[in-house]
Amino acid sequence: MYKYTHFDRRFVHARAAQYRDQLERHLAGQLSTDDFRALRLQNGWYIQRHAPMLRVAVPYGELSSRQLRQLAKIAREYDRQPDGPFAGQGGYGHFTTRQNLQYNWIPLKDSATVMELLAEVDMHGIQTSGNCIRNITSDAFAGIAPDEIVDPRPYCEILRQWSTLHPEFAHLPRKFKIAVSGAQEDRAAIGWHDIGLQLKKNAAGEVGFQVFVGGGMGRTPIPGVEINAFVPWQQILVYIEAIVRVYNLAGRRDNLYKARIKILVKAEGQKFFDAVNEELARILADDPAGHEQIIPQAELDRVAASFVDPEGVTPQAEPALDTSDPALDPQFSRWLARNVDGHRVAGYRAVTLSLKRVGIAPGDTSADVMDTAAALADQFSHGELRVSHRQNLVLPWVKAADLPELFQAARAAGFATPNARLLTDQIACPGGDFCALANARSLPLAAEIAERYQDQDELEDLGEIDLHISGCINSCGHHHSGHIGILGVDKDGAEWYQLTLGGSDGSTLSGTTVPGRVIGPSFAADEIADAIDAVIETFKRERLAGEHFIDAVKRLGLDPFKTAANAVRVSTAKA
Amino acid sequence: MKFINPTTCPWQHAVGEDGPKPDPDPAANRLLTLEQWHAVKDRWPQDLKVAVEFPNNVDIRELAPDLHRIALVVLEFPKWTDGRAYSQAHLLRIRLKFQGAIRARGEVLVDMMQLLARTGFDEVVLRGDQSQAFAQKALDLFAPVGFYQGDVAETRPWFLRSSAQVAA
Repeated sequence: MYKYTHFDRRFVHARAAQYRDQLERHLAGQLSTDDFRALRLQNGWYIQRHAPMLRVAVPYGELSSRQLRQLAKIAREYDRQPDGPFAGQGGYGHFTTRQNLQYNWIPLKDSATVMELLAEVDMHGIQTSGNCIRNITSDAFAGIAPDEIVDPRPYCEILRQWSTLHPEFAHLPRKFKIAVSGAQEDRAAIGWHDIGLQLKKNAAGEVGFQVFVGGGMGRTPIPGVEINAFVPWQQILVYIEAIVRVYNLAGRRDNLYKARIKILVKAEGQKFFDAVNEELARILADDPAGHEQIIPQAELDRVAASFVDPEGVTPQAEPALDTSDPALDPQFSRWLARNVDGHRVAGYRAVTLSLKRVGIAPGDTSADVMDTAAALADQFSHGELRVSHRQNLVLPWVKAADLPELFQAARAAGFATPNARLLTDQIACPGGDFCALANARSLPLAAEIAERYQDQDELEDLGEIDLHISGCINSCGHHHSGHIGILGVDKDGAEWYQLTLGGSDGSTLSGTTVPGRVIGPSFAADEIADAIDAVIETFKRERLAGEHFIDAVKRLGLDPFKTAANAVRVSTAKA
Repeated sequence: MKFINPTTCPWQHAVGEDGPKPDPDPAANRLLTLEQWHAVKDRWPQDLKVAVEFPNNVDIRELAPDLHRIALVVLEFPKWTDGRAYSQAHLLRIRLKFQGAIRARGEVLVDMMQLLARTGFDEVVLRGDQSQAFAQKALDLFAPVGFYQGDVAETRPWFLRSSAQVAA
């Protein structure tokens, strides 16, 4: 993990002090609600349906057990609704698709204290919201994946530092998200980001970035397009500077829904690419400070020194573990097959701690559960965890020989649902239960799906299916990239749900990054779970041997699924 | 950072009996809109410096051939969350090597001070309800610490400054 320097520490403490000053001026009536908004947003504070929401950055998903214990302490001591109709609510956090943690119930008056508690463990909420460069995300298996080409973490950290309080880019037309992948498999959905970076090595073995630009979800889902096949790593900061400067000056500010860079890229096409390339050339040729933004080898080496394997991690002999042994606990075998992934270091594994459990919202974690996960990380994973894009936790440094013991401990703590990448490993935003933006609730639907599909044999038989649920068109639940996508919509004050099929996050299984297609008019709240069932039943009936759901949708088209889903309509059938 | 009171500031608009003149006569301390500057620049005395108000939706690089005749560029913040003028100021200083003054006007809040100073502004007209004392405090907040990336005031990113310190 990245080790904060003295400078990094002073910096987050200064930021916390700056926020306290702003909060105090606001509470004293010297800073209006309107003017305070953009300031608190850039520290992660939203005002939500019932209380403020705080989004804490977990940069590129890396988290230490010490940090997680502090997050638990904040949940326990500060995430509480003191009074009103929701008195007593709180005490937990919600892990998001962008590797952040959100609290829903911290009173605003305590917000500055919470920022100081975060700074104590080298954490912050800087730029987790607002129209600025957001938290840099990456592969949850970064640095450990067997298919990794280049470890993305040092580059992510350099990008984090460069983007943090960048003075020129603090008030862009709209939010700006960057994701980095260093592996063959894209586990960071880079095609859905404003800038997607794919680390590569060229024929000479030199490291660089394939750069995608203009990806984004929202009401106009557009996959990113390649703007450069290979930017040498030394130039990545100036390259991104060129992109963001062109966007800052030319991006639309007249219409909130047309302000993302994807609209500019789509509208201008080659003209945008030319403008970026010209701007890059001018930075390098004309700006006296241009060459100072080139990353020196010494800086990469300094940052990379933080990302060495933990002390004591050495290749191990593979333990003899016959998963077909009938004497083995069948739950253990399932868990091994589902939630345990391969590792770069022989004899080690990456273990997913599933946060998708019946009765608990996807990604939600109580203070006690956070403490338990921290203890598991200490015992089995050198005190390190990852937050995944799929809203689970990952233990990155587990000895294969420790798997039986870890399984027992994870099962006892409720982390061992063997459902990674299956239907119930669903992605969901907090939806209308908490979010002021949402049109519909996403959590009751997620809960209903989790209830209906508890049979592990059935889930395994269905195979890998990405089910993504968003409570509104802001698409925090990534419904556009779901093999099955659900979007909450509001019609005359009632909750409705649009169903899409065939979306892709850009992974090998899902294929080229593409938004799903809508099947018919929205379903009523009491129909949508049945409609999903009908889609699944159609898949079971029509699939070829061994065929994945996403491949069946591509082969069959929407019609058979649409017909089946329409047949379950009750209230909407009359219309 | 200089805090400017626009009514007592020496740079003033040329106002005739019927309001602003489209093509004011040359005079010292003239504050011109970009349209006015375009209208008069060909006959304006080469050694008479002007101040120009520049909108935030026009390419600031258009001003490059004229910069040696300009003492002050006034950049606009129609809303404080509209950040285009930060890029314009950065380009004026870094790309175009502009040595005159750059002033922020419009919805200018104390909490923008750091961003303004770091992108090359050296004068501000604060919004009416803003406190100069708070603005100064906002400027001082990070001063003992510094920032990661280079800016107009300190072009070296932290990684170059820290390695220079180690070497020294």
